[in-house]
Amino acid sequence: MLFNSAAFLIFFPVVTITYFLLPHRFRWMLLLAASCYFYMAFIPKYILILAVTITVDYFAGLGLEKFEGRKKRWVLMASILTNIGMLAFFKYFNFANENLASLAKFIDWNYPVHSLAIILPIGLSFHTFQSLSYTIEVYRGRQKAERHFGYLALYVMYYPQLVAGPIERPQNILHQLHTEQRFEYRRVTDGLKWMAWGMFKKIVVADRMVLFVNPVYNDPTQHSGPALVFATLAFAIQIYCDFSGYSDIALGSAQVMGVKLMKNFDHPYFARSISEFWRRWHISLSTWFRDYLYIPLGGNRVPKPRWAFNLFITFLISGLWHGADWTYVIWGALHGSYLVLSILTEPFWTRLSVLTRLDRLPRLKIAISTLTTFFLVTFAWIFFRAASLSDALYIVSHLASGWHAYLAQSWHTLVQEGFQNTANPGLYSIVNAVFTIFTPLTEESRTVIVLTALALILLIVIEVLQYRGNLLEQLHQKPVYLRRIVYASLIAVILIFGTSYASVQQAFIYFQF
Amino acid sequence: MPADVRAFFVSTVQVILLTAAMITITFLGIKPDPDHYFAGSLLHTRLLETTASPRIILAGGSNVSFGIDAELMQRKLGIPVINDGLHAGLGLAPLRELEEYIRDGDVIIISLEYNLFAYQDVLNGDPTFLSDWIEYSPRRIQYLSKPWKEAPGIYAIMLQRKVNRQVNTVLFGGSLNEVRDIFVGTKYDLNGDFIGHLQETSMNRRKIPATPYPVLGLQDDIFVFLENFNRIAHEKGATVYFEAPASRQSNCKATGQAQMADFFKTFAERSSIPILTPLDEVCLPNKYFFDTEYHLNAQGRKLRTERLIENWIKVMAALK
Repeated sequence: MLFNSAAFLIFFPVVTITYFLLPHRFRWMLLLAASCYFYMAFIPKYILILAVTITVDYFAGLGLEKFEGRKKRWVLMASILTNIGMLAFFKYFNFANENLASLAKFIDWNYPVHSLAIILPIGLSFHTFQSLSYTIEVYRGRQKAERHFGYLALYVMYYPQLVAGPIERPQNILHQLHTEQRFEYRRVTDGLKWMAWGMFKKIVVADRMVLFVNPVYNDPTQHSGPALVFATLAFAIQIYCDFSGYSDIALGSAQVMGVKLMKNFDHPYFARSISEFWRRWHISLSTWFRDYLYIPLGGNRVPKPRWAFNLFITFLISGLWHGADWTYVIWGALHGSYLVLSILTEPFWTRLSVLTRLDRLPRLKIAISTLTTFFLVTFAWIFFRAASLSDALYIVSHLASGWHAYLAQSWHTLVQEGFQNTANPGLYSIVNAVFTIFTPLTEESRTVIVLTALALILLIVIEVLQYRGNLLEQLHQKPVYLRRIVYASLIAVILIFGTSYASVQQAFIYFQF
Repeated sequence: MPADVRAFFVSTVQVILLTAAMITITFLGIKPDPDHYFAGSLLHTRLLETTASPRIILAGGSNVSFGIDAELMQRKLGIPVINDGLHAGLGLAPLRELEEYIRDGDVIIISLEYNLFAYQDVLNGDPTFLSDWIEYSPRRIQYLSKPWKEAPGIYAIMLQRKVNRQVNTVLFGGSLNEVRDIFVGTKYDLNGDFIGHLQETSMNRRKIPATPYPVLGLQDDIFVFLENFNRIAHEKGATVYFEAPASRQSNCKATGQAQMADFFKTFAERSSIPILTPLDEVCLPNKYFFDTEYHLNAQGRKLRTERLIENWIKVMAALK
């Protein structure tokens, strides 16, 4: 079930109201049943994968508490192998097989294994990692084994974060699920506000960006540099609003029922370095890899070359986690390389900053760092979004092409054609000139462009205000009538722009992982 | 009731009411665009309501509104003729509306674009076109194939289109009608014919691609619908005929003579509605077309109408 679907508009209030009406001892049953229903709205039979994972990890948890030494390690290995085995089979088998087949063809070998006709279970990477974190934490002694099978199942399947995270840790969630939650006005309404804001990001901004991204990325060879650059920038906004929008809805819907999920995004595009970006983007996954891969590899408490290796390999695997394709591997490798290079060149940048006296202009330095980080991240998104490696390489190699013709055409449009419109010549000509790459522009597409720009401005203003302080808290200081108008306006905007012209709900990008 | 629950209930009701008020004001405050090509559908409905029977009603997409001269037919045949053609994107919804206005003695000549016969969603039509069409007459929501299921989506699109149109007017001036210089709702004659294009030359319009007509993979749904439509018309004392849309020579060539013939054969086999158009009259030289493979210019429209009149007279003579 999609958060941005009509079905969820019914599902959520029904589940929430029933939740608060039920005595505490029955609530886990309701949430588990609702989570099963939520998951089975996609492909019902894949619930069996979750059933196997949960059963194995339930007994693994009990075993990990019971055994010590080698036996304990064997139990952990069994759990890891089961979880990773599921992931490997459903997500990576075809990828590995196709690459082996290509290799065999290259060296002229007969390779008889065919790819499997399987559809990737929705959110597999998310719930596998969440389940894994349970057994690892029990192994490390930081979490007691859950004796109630239903609660462990709920920990893995809790519907707000089942299919796209945040990837939770048992210490944060399990005790909250056990605790009796009461209806608290402030908590419930704040949760609903987060959900509304998430919907705004998804429906009003991310889904609008699709209009600029898909036509170009679906067939990049038909476009030159300006369109490729513009579509890539639009994708950077789309993926942020799509994924952080999902996380906001997940956090909000869990908060309504008294469960506080971990923060998954913290204004990532305001980051001043790639390492800071990863402390702000998909935080639950970054910390997962940090805790369960990077630190066990030695983290940064090793010689520099080994440290660089640890970082690079962590990001390479993170790329592969996102998708079984070389484009994702390269995306991960790019981020790994950015980080390794930033470590190796840190003294150089510090000296350069002193030499250019940039260190005396902290605001300018922050602006340059933030913009550089944003462009590096956006460049890497090309590999994340492109349909194939050849498409990605085409885009990268053509980013600089066609600018002369574009600028000449834009200038021509601006001075020759734009000012013929009498109602608002300035705006009309600017829109025509900037978006000449998307010709033919229609009356309506011009309006959609302007409305999208307005939505983006609103998004940036809210993001900046949130970055500077607790916006919800500030809003609470305002008079009641003003707050009501703000909330009603937000909902009205979502409702007005809540349906795309194609009448197709855009699924959340991270569902595919 | 606990204080927190009561406070939540009160604030939720307040926010819902405020939101509903905002949406309602927006929805009702932005009126339908009088310049829109679909504004002509109000004239069509009025003609269907007020023109006395017996009469000839021409129904279908824009191949009818652009390509048949009801006024000329009326003059030559001496009975009232209404051009009820509008847009193929509306699917079969206008025919559902027409069912309501059929009276004893009426003759209905349906001319549906070939694309509709291969269009999988023919029963529903395009939601954007439908929302524009319904905006002029909200009761048309009942003519959707599944009104209860489709209505929320249609109203959502309508609301969004209204806002876009209003924003467009504020920002740039004018409506969203893409080529409003010609395709405007005021350019219909008293018989419901669209006449906005008659003074234009085809040369000014975009090049028409010579793509084949999709006359393969015909959908069952449309034949079932037409059979049902024919039955209802017969029950009301009316007669239904099918007129094949005039086809551009280049597109006919791309489609192939054999496939066009196969379409006629299939239609005759699967429908009890007689076809008025002889196969050899379907394809017309490119010079008779205006801006699409279905829209005729003034000369093409005259030729097609005269042939239709002749064919009609022949059918009437044969019946006698």
